[in-house]
Amino acid sequence: MRRIGVVKGLKRFSLFRFAQPMVMALFVMIQPAPSPAADRIAVFPTTPFDAYIIYESLAVLWLAIIGLIVIIRMKLREIERIQEMGIDKEDKDAPLLQ
Amino acid sequence: MKLKYSLITRRTFLNTLFGGWLFAFFAGTFSALMKFAFPTLGKEPDFVVLNRKDFTDLANNSVKRFPWGGVVGLYFKKADGSVLALKGVCTHMECNVAYKPEERRFYCACHNGWYDENGKNISGPPPKPLEVFTIMEEGEKLIIAKKGVKVELPKA
Amino acid sequence: MNCPKLKNWLEERYDWEGMKRFAKRKLVPEHRYDLWYYTGGITLFLFILQFLTGMLLAFYYVPHIDFAHKSIIEIVTKQNLGWFFRSFHHWGSELCIAFLFIHLFGTLLLKSYRKPREFLWATGFILLGVSIFFGLSGYLLLWDERALAAVRVATGGAGNFPFIGGFIKAFLRGSIDVTGDTLTRFYAFHVAILPIITLLLVGLHLLLMQYHGMSVPLSLEKEKRREIPFFPNFFYKDLMVWLVVLGVLATLAVLLPPEIGAKADPLAPPPENVKPEWYFLFLLETLKLFPGAILGLNGETIAILMVSCAILFFFLIPFFDQRSARGEKSPLFTWIGVIYLLYFLTMTVVGYLS
Repeated sequence: MRRIGVVKGLKRFSLFRFAQPMVMALFVMIQPAPSPAADRIAVFPTTPFDAYIIYESLAVLWLAIIGLIVIIRMKLREIERIQEMGIDKEDKDAPLLQ
Repeated sequence: MKLKYSLITRRTFLNTLFGGWLFAFFAGTFSALMKFAFPTLGKEPDFVVLNRKDFTDLANNSVKRFPWGGVVGLYFKKADGSVLALKGVCTHMECNVAYKPEERRFYCACHNGWYDENGKNISGPPPKPLEVFTIMEEGEKLIIAKKGVKVELPKA
Repeated sequence: MNCPKLKNWLEERYDWEGMKRFAKRKLVPEHRYDLWYYTGGITLFLFILQFLTGMLLAFYYVPHIDFAHKSIIEIVTKQNLGWFFRSFHHWGSELCIAFLFIHLFGTLLLKSYRKPREFLWATGFILLGVSIFFGLSGYLLLWDERALAAVRVATGGAGNFPFIGGFIKAFLRGSIDVTGDTLTRFYAFHVAILPIITLLLVGLHLLLMQYHGMSVPLSLEKEKRREIPFFPNFFYKDLMVWLVVLGVLATLAVLLPPEIGAKADPLAPPPENVKPEWYFLFLLETLKLFPGAILGLNGETIAILMVSCAILFFFLIPFFDQRSARGEKSPLFTWIGVIYLLYFLTMTVVGYLS
């Protein structure tokens, strides 16, 4: 409960709303000057906008993976708790539903 | 207000969270795969620009094909000398139609569909007439456009 | 998920409860070295990812010498996310072969190959050869200068086998030199022949693994240990590891996309300091150690023969190591394994740095 309070408190600062576009603008500003390599094939999207989207997607992917791992760990802890209690076996003589 | 009993079991909560997150994860992955698998499909053009010279000395009662996006268009000089431009694609199942000069009708070989000189469907399965285009001439160029489209040539 | 109707539907047609009971029987031991149990699964996961990204790339790749290079450039520059899937496929292959070697040396040093698991070792070894051929054939499909030079050296080297060398070289190349016929042939290998062989071998490998169960290192066999069920405990742990591998692979694909070299010209000399893929470097360095001629015989042939003997011995280790087959400690073969590993690592590093 306390954790949610902190996040809500942070969001009260109006600057927090501009976090994403500010990061994007900073990202565009720090792009290197284009190198005069003759015929280098672009194996990565060149516009800074596309590059930003890609790095942000990578961050989202990692958040998704970490979220999944946390959930799986919660499930695993629960399963181990049940197994230690000995209540994980199904009743052998339970009749099938008609 | 503190509840005496939990509204859902721990198992249901965990399984729903897991299933939902997994669904979102795979939906994201799948949409990325689909973006890749579907190539940038071409759109049908609003008009095409051709060379007038290629079409000036066409014999009466004959047809010259021209490209319309990815499909065939027919530049048709009727027996009385007037000109008509149509899309050479049958309105039934999208086969290419041919012109039969002896019968003065268009014929689709796939299912024996027939169209008259004006592109109207007269016999066989085609449900609609052939699409007719407007012809415009601008100097050296011959512009064939969809009906009702305002043609704006790009400044070369 | 609690759907009793669905369970009943299945139970009326198939022995669903029986299958579940059978699956629940699989146990995974817990001990000091149980981290090694993950390596095979990671390799399998990476293989599956390679199959998927490979299928996607095959939508747009054209296996003809005039269009191959161009089609890859089209994929990378014009297709939606094309650069990503190509980069993912490239890094997937690097990681897959790296984990394959980790799995190989892990099972070698932990002696998982001993009786009764000899066929697991044998099928795994053939899979190693298949994977390396996957890497080589996939590499050529780019049809750039590096690829052409690398495949010329690899197929030319295979041609140095006594008696059958010429036959092998002609079979791989499809003609005298690496040409468009080679590209078509390697495409057939990469996309059709090798995948089917892999599916069969991996199926067999997994089947044998289910049959024999997980092997436990000799030194720990006598100790009492906990065994956790595979479903669901180890399965979820495996899943977590696989998710991390997926994340690492995506990160590598995004941050370090591979370059595309200039189109291959069969008449031009190879580019400066050209090197094959890292998993061939140890072979290359070994060949470099041999002089041109030994006692009047062709040095290359002798080199190939000796390397082949070493690889053949490696393949037959489960049958040579009788002590571990009896369940006794076998320090000689531990040392042999360590020597193979150190040789492989050293030669790879030497090849990389030279």
